[in-house]
Amino acid sequence: MKRERWGNRAAFILAAIGSAAGLGNAIRFPYVAYANGGGAFLIPYFVALLTAGIPLLILEFSVGQKNQAGAPTAMSKIKKSFQPFGWWPVISAFVIVAYYAGIMAWIWDYLIASLNVAWGSDSWGYFTGNVLKISDSPGNLGGFSIPVLLGLAATWISIYFILRKGTNSVGKVVLYTVSAPIILLVILMLRAITLPGAMAGLNFYLKPDFSALLNPRVWIEAYAQVFFTLSLGMGIMYAYASYMPEDSDITNNALITVFANSGVSFLSGIAIFGTLGYMAQEQGVAIADVAAGGLGLSFSVFPNAINMLPGGTIMAAIFGFIFFLTLLTLGIDSAFSLVESTVAGVADKWGTDKQKTTFWVIAVLALISLLFATKAGLYWVDIIDHYINNYGLIIGGILEAVALGWFYNTESLREYINPISEYKIGKWWTYMIKVLPIILVVLLLNYFIGDVTTLYGGYALKYQWIGGWGMMIGVAILSFVMAKLHSKYETAELDKSAKV
Amino acid sequence: MEFSAIVMLIFACVVLYGGLFITVSKAMKSSKEKKDN
Repeated sequence: MKRERWGNRAAFILAAIGSAAGLGNAIRFPYVAYANGGGAFLIPYFVALLTAGIPLLILEFSVGQKNQAGAPTAMSKIKKSFQPFGWWPVISAFVIVAYYAGIMAWIWDYLIASLNVAWGSDSWGYFTGNVLKISDSPGNLGGFSIPVLLGLAATWISIYFILRKGTNSVGKVVLYTVSAPIILLVILMLRAITLPGAMAGLNFYLKPDFSALLNPRVWIEAYAQVFFTLSLGMGIMYAYASYMPEDSDITNNALITVFANSGVSFLSGIAIFGTLGYMAQEQGVAIADVAAGGLGLSFSVFPNAINMLPGGTIMAAIFGFIFFLTLLTLGIDSAFSLVESTVAGVADKWGTDKQKTTFWVIAVLALISLLFATKAGLYWVDIIDHYINNYGLIIGGILEAVALGWFYNTESLREYINPISEYKIGKWWTYMIKVLPIILVVLLLNYFIGDVTTLYGGYALKYQWIGGWGMMIGVAILSFVMAKLHSKYETAELDKSAKV
Repeated sequence: MEFSAIVMLIFACVVLYGGLFITVSKAMKSSKEKKDN
């Protein structure tokens, strides 16, 4: 079967940037930077990019492109026994996109709500009461929240239409979904820095506390941020790179993706902290009292800050719409890239029609994601997000780095990369791939010790087992089962590639 | 804004947007060369 191709190199790079630059860039990075030394955080962050982010991204691009397949088949072509290590990231991506769609649904709801600033003066109350209609515990699903259900439908329909024609449609969509949030972020930033109090906010964000560099926790946070922000360990970059011709550049494409992705994060920080500085001044409180990240920032703090913007309800509506449109456009290309990881994994293994595979993968995901449209949806998003990010992705990274760094001739990949790339990589890259599992194990242990000593989020142990540990065991079992399932198509393809 | 915050702002802009400019320029130059050949 002839492999589909990106229309051009720019389409691939934009798709990779779109996948990497997601909600985390806007709502996670600024807060993590502020909480870990402000401007000084940039130093461990850049070190982590150089020693982990860039090497791993180059590895994923090269394995996907060289083997012309998504993660499972690409790993299988290297060594048959590596196939479960290719399914692990794909299944992790499958789990992530199921709840990510739930978050996207909330953003759709807020986008509509921004038209008349429906959240009023109590945005968190609006979020939990009007949007989520939240129940009292994860065990009390309490039926569906209709606004979330409608948002979910909008999310899946958008993803289906974007992915329907594969790289053809994705290549066109990313032109808008990558450039739009950047333009919108620039608008938000310009508004933010011209507000009174903004400079105090930026001071808070960027003033370096170099003593923080002596704190190992800050370095752990930097590596974690880099790992999560580049869509690593999800099988996406294998799949996207596999649609490029085998002789395409690898290292420069990876560098462009990294610089653009981190540039979006940094820009978001200026927009967010500039606005928070203004908000703190208006309320007469310290910036530390309003600084927030994650869902609290998106659905509570920032909508409140928007309420206070000069210009009354009209300006609040305009900037509210811009803010949520930024989140929506940032999130949608990450969401469809997560789906693409699974679609490529299945289509490459069984040789199924991609359009049909896309439809069925989305149908199954839409069904599963109904859990996040229930009144207990927020709890399940929170629990599953914590475990799949901290364990699923990091274990996925460890598996690929151990397999390709310790049980494979990594130098042969470097020999493949250098002649076709605009920037040559030295032996340092091979060493970094070999050392990466150690860094990732430190990250993993850090989270593991935290989770066994304290119940995450205060949720009862049974919910941690269902949405956390149990789900992770499920990912592990499914990775082996998928690898073991027989496929005549796969056997023929592997035979063909072995002869080559 | 304090001086140290301004320094970090400039440092980040130079690394990130400077890096992006250099890598994109290199890619465009390389594409042009390929077309010319």
